[in-house]
Amino acid sequence: MGAARGLLAALLAGLTGASATVVVLANTPNPSKGDKELGEYLSSMCVGCHQLSGRASGGIPAIVAWPDEQFVAVIQSYKDGTRDNETMRTISHRLSQEEIEALAAFFGGLPPPKTP
Amino acid sequence: MDLNRRHILIGAAAGAATLYAPAVIGQAKPRVVVIGGGPGGATAAKYVARDSQGAINVTLVEPAANFVTCFHSNLYLGGYKTFEEITHSYDDLTKKYAINHARKTASFIDRDAKTVNLDDSSTLSYDKLVIAPGIDLKYDSVPGWGREHETIMPHAWKAGPQTQLLKKRLMEVPDGGVIVMIAPPNPYRCPPGPYERVSMMAHVLKSTGRTKCKIIVLDPKEVFSKQGLFQAGWEQHYPGMVEWIGPKIHDGIKSVDPKTNTVETGFETYKNAALVNVIPAQMAGRIAHEAKLADAGGFCQIDPVNMKSKADPNIFIIGDAAIAGDMPKSAFAANSQAKVAANAIRAELTGSRLFPAKYTNTCWSLIETDDAVKVGGAYEPKDGKISATETYVSKPTEDVAQRKQTQAENIGWYTGLITDMFG
Repeated sequence: MGAARGLLAALLAGLTGASATVVVLANTPNPSKGDKELGEYLSSMCVGCHQLSGRASGGIPAIVAWPDEQFVAVIQSYKDGTRDNETMRTISHRLSQEEIEALAAFFGGLPPPKTP
Repeated sequence: MDLNRRHILIGAAAGAATLYAPAVIGQAKPRVVVIGGGPGGATAAKYVARDSQGAINVTLVEPAANFVTCFHSNLYLGGYKTFEEITHSYDDLTKKYAINHARKTASFIDRDAKTVNLDDSSTLSYDKLVIAPGIDLKYDSVPGWGREHETIMPHAWKAGPQTQLLKKRLMEVPDGGVIVMIAPPNPYRCPPGPYERVSMMAHVLKSTGRTKCKIIVLDPKEVFSKQGLFQAGWEQHYPGMVEWIGPKIHDGIKSVDPKTNTVETGFETYKNAALVNVIPAQMAGRIAHEAKLADAGGFCQIDPVNMKSKADPNIFIIGDAAIAGDMPKSAFAANSQAKVAANAIRAELTGSRLFPAKYTNTCWSLIETDDAVKVGGAYEPKDGKISATETYVSKPTEDVAQRKQTQAENIGWYTGLITDMFG
């Protein structure tokens, strides 16, 4: 997890522009706290753009198979304005901590894309 | 516990179970019928079928074998996408999720019997009905123009042959020719759509050397979606080619004459236009009116908590046909509403967990290559309607890289939405 934390810190440090590339970290064993069923429902807000398969398309990055900690941190970075994408900022503002953790649990539990 | 009390409790429990999952007790699988295979209907059918894991029988009533998306049809017009790229088969959706595809038109809804008649005289029974018919055009809303004139003065507001016709006609406009667009009054499908279309027309004319052409937009509205962004973009990319005229100036469309391609307003008459694009007023699709689900304004009132019709507790109305409060009529909105409805339908029919409604929308518009803008928001049920909790719109000060990134999002969103609808 140490390496993942280092990557996460680097990722968040670099997330200052809307065009920043999201680095997908390898999924590490990470028992989720979140309510996966709630996360699956809430994911309906995300999957109009982000694909469940983990396939990135155009300017829409993949968001599956991330460690929970990373997912929560990325959403938090939109919520507190560290990252500036209006769509994501608006989505993040409406999410409670419980809901963010639920989304992290759901998306984190999905398999990574077959072809990176 | 005495016997009487125990009996009362057992009776109460049985009653609660009956209320909880009425359709699964003592009968075959509950049945959901979805009318309309656009972003609302296709998404609703998929989410009910997929998430109920076979516990609900889902039938999609949609006469077409393929769906041509209205969204990104402007990108087809602008030459950024092929017609094939905005055309999608229902096959994967229906096979993967075991959805029955009735390739028919719904001709009648018997709300008391809970049945839908199809145009081949067959009948479908439902426990819950989803209506997502999109819009119908008000052919009598522009004086002198009607259904019989749509091949001369195309609307192209329902994607398909009309979209192809508009593109063909655009390609035939000579340099120096005048295009007149009659924009629609509120409420209508895709609020920024007419103005993205103007942008794409100008892009095609400019990129083919026809810069002496002029596009006149006659608008019945004083203001329109992303107005400042579009007008700044037109000035920047297509100087002198686009003129938007609001109702205070043009004083209304007095008549159009398809024989001479003439449009007369209270201000000026445009004769021998090279192309007239009439986008008329709109209303909910026919079946919603015939089932008496639409109000005097032409659209359907819904419960913002779950998209259920205010006129019938067994019917859900999603997408353009619904009065969705602060949400625009867009593919993104219809897709979002479908998921709220699907969650509510499964909860009622199978007792699955019911979650609070959360709606989202974003509408991207391309003004010129790599120059895209967006508007969007988050929405929740509040004060008896779907209310915006936060909205945003692209800023006029955004740099070139930001606008290019917004277009990349637009392209990615399309693929994501198609995957969410059909994949």
